[in-house]
Amino acid sequence: MRRPTKEEGLWLVPLIIVILLWEIIAGYVIKDALILPRFSAVIFSIYMLRELLILDILVSILHFGIGMTLAFSVALPLAIAMGWFRNVFRAVDPIIEIVRPIPPLAWIPLAIVWIGLNHYAAGFIIFIGAFFPILINSYTGFRDVPRVLVETGNVLGCIGNIKLIRYVALPYALPSIATGTRVGMGVGWMCVVAAEMFGVGNSGLGYRLFQKFYFLHQMDYVVAYMLILGVLALCLDRLFRHLVEDKLFRWKKGIVK
Amino acid sequence: MEKRTMVSLIVIGVIAVTVMIVGCIEDETTEMTTINIGYQPSTHQIAAMLASEKGWWEEDLAKFGIEKVVMKEFPSGPPEMHAMLAGDLDVAYVGTAPPIAAMYEGLDAKIVAGAQTQGSALVISPELADEYESVGVQSLKGKKIATFPPGSIQHTVLSKWLLDNGIDPETDVDIKAMGPSDAATAIGAKTVDAVFLPSPTPTIIEEEGNGVIVAWSGSISPNHACCCVVASGTMMQEHPDIVKQIIKTHIRATEYEIAHPEEAAEIYAKWLDADVSTIKQSINVTDMHWIHDPSIEVESGLEYAKVIYELNRERYEEKGIEVLEEEDIFDTSFYDEVMEER
Repeated sequence: MRRPTKEEGLWLVPLIIVILLWEIIAGYVIKDALILPRFSAVIFSIYMLRELLILDILVSILHFGIGMTLAFSVALPLAIAMGWFRNVFRAVDPIIEIVRPIPPLAWIPLAIVWIGLNHYAAGFIIFIGAFFPILINSYTGFRDVPRVLVETGNVLGCIGNIKLIRYVALPYALPSIATGTRVGMGVGWMCVVAAEMFGVGNSGLGYRLFQKFYFLHQMDYVVAYMLILGVLALCLDRLFRHLVEDKLFRWKKGIVK
Repeated sequence: MEKRTMVSLIVIGVIAVTVMIVGCIEDETTEMTTINIGYQPSTHQIAAMLASEKGWWEEDLAKFGIEKVVMKEFPSGPPEMHAMLAGDLDVAYVGTAPPIAAMYEGLDAKIVAGAQTQGSALVISPELADEYESVGVQSLKGKKIATFPPGSIQHTVLSKWLLDNGIDPETDVDIKAMGPSDAATAIGAKTVDAVFLPSPTPTIIEEEGNGVIVAWSGSISPNHACCCVVASGTMMQEHPDIVKQIIKTHIRATEYEIAHPEEAAEIYAKWLDADVSTIKQSINVTDMHWIHDPSIEVESGLEYAKVIYELNRERYEEKGIEVLEEEDIFDTSFYDEVMEER
């Protein structure tokens, strides 16, 4: 008997397989919650931690919000300048390429010294993670504006850099900016744990995971928070895609989908 | 056809993953030739480094067929105990609190010897030191104090001391959970007002001019336990003679460091690439006592066990875990036998 398969439900099959595998391997092969807690134990932990969890999520989102806002507002103007003016690119690119490979974790000592032990220091670490993907994708978008569009703009009365950037380059680069922001959000979220590891506050997903649960070897709680970090990232990504790709870029439908 | 291929691929995948995992966790029951000893970069645990530097571990354990002793450094107790939980450490020099926290989560190990008592200090920013001298502990109200995370010896001793003096550690002060390097950076950058840390960091901060040591932990909580020697359950059950020998070597190293503190400082400085004079100064000024008798640490060990239980009461009660008693945490029988033989 063939059952009709709905395309929308396709993601459910691998997910269920992974959960079942996890439960079976943890429960019957490993049998040690310290090495791998069972999926059911992790879900129960989330229920146990529900009160702490809300506060921790809010604090982590605050850190993430600070980092992303800062990253976006610094990266975008710089990306416009680097993408549109070749000399700015030549001047700034070496500095960017030196700073870019430095891991966000390595900035912790400077964050403590420069900013102090507050939410902004955590935001700074997330900023470091998110800034470069936004910058690089965005300036690539501006740099790759086809000459024919610029010339057409000129013919139609779009004269001067400001007008050309506003009416030609920016709309052309928007998808690249969106991609950069999406990648930046992913990297920024990965930095949340590192950003909350060094005493910036007494709550937050990263703080709780690293300074409390790990410290006390509560591995089911650790994995529960890892899972929450993953699910929240998924929600943030879906929300972003819904708002930006489905609403803002509806005109691109048919090209990307 | 496609469906069949997919099903086959999934089945092959499942089998491969299971085989890999089973293979990974399979125990190797070979003769013990290597011992892994964990330690932390603190003057509290110089005995471990000293015995290694002098070659005493290998020398003393050779008769048991041990060919290699691997010293593994950890930044703090929790990752060290995590390594022991994973079976990567046979013996560990560690603070008394982290193994107790791990025991609550199923670590099969016991404290078999003492290593040191006291030896942490409250260091205050130079600008606030005068206020502390005149007002005392009350001057800490409203201040930011960096120390190790909840459940650590430092956090426990500091919180209890503040409470005893009518200061609520939750609301009246802002306690920041940090590692020693971050805390030292933070007081240097004036982002915290004080730190409460084990040696040698207090002396390092003072020598850099970033703080003043105002109280040693011995004056806050007299004779409180700090570091100890932990042996894994496997070691105690399968190799009791080796555990006894490790305790003997630890006693040898402890007696040597007490008799030759200058040399102990030099060994520490060499191992950790630290400034010799700062380490010597740290050993001179600290109130820590190197010990080897585990019974000295029992009283405060039980106190830490209660504090850790209170911190996690809801979790432990739900799992049916009860407050650990002396026999759950300590096994002094090896030490007692060693002392009887002496």
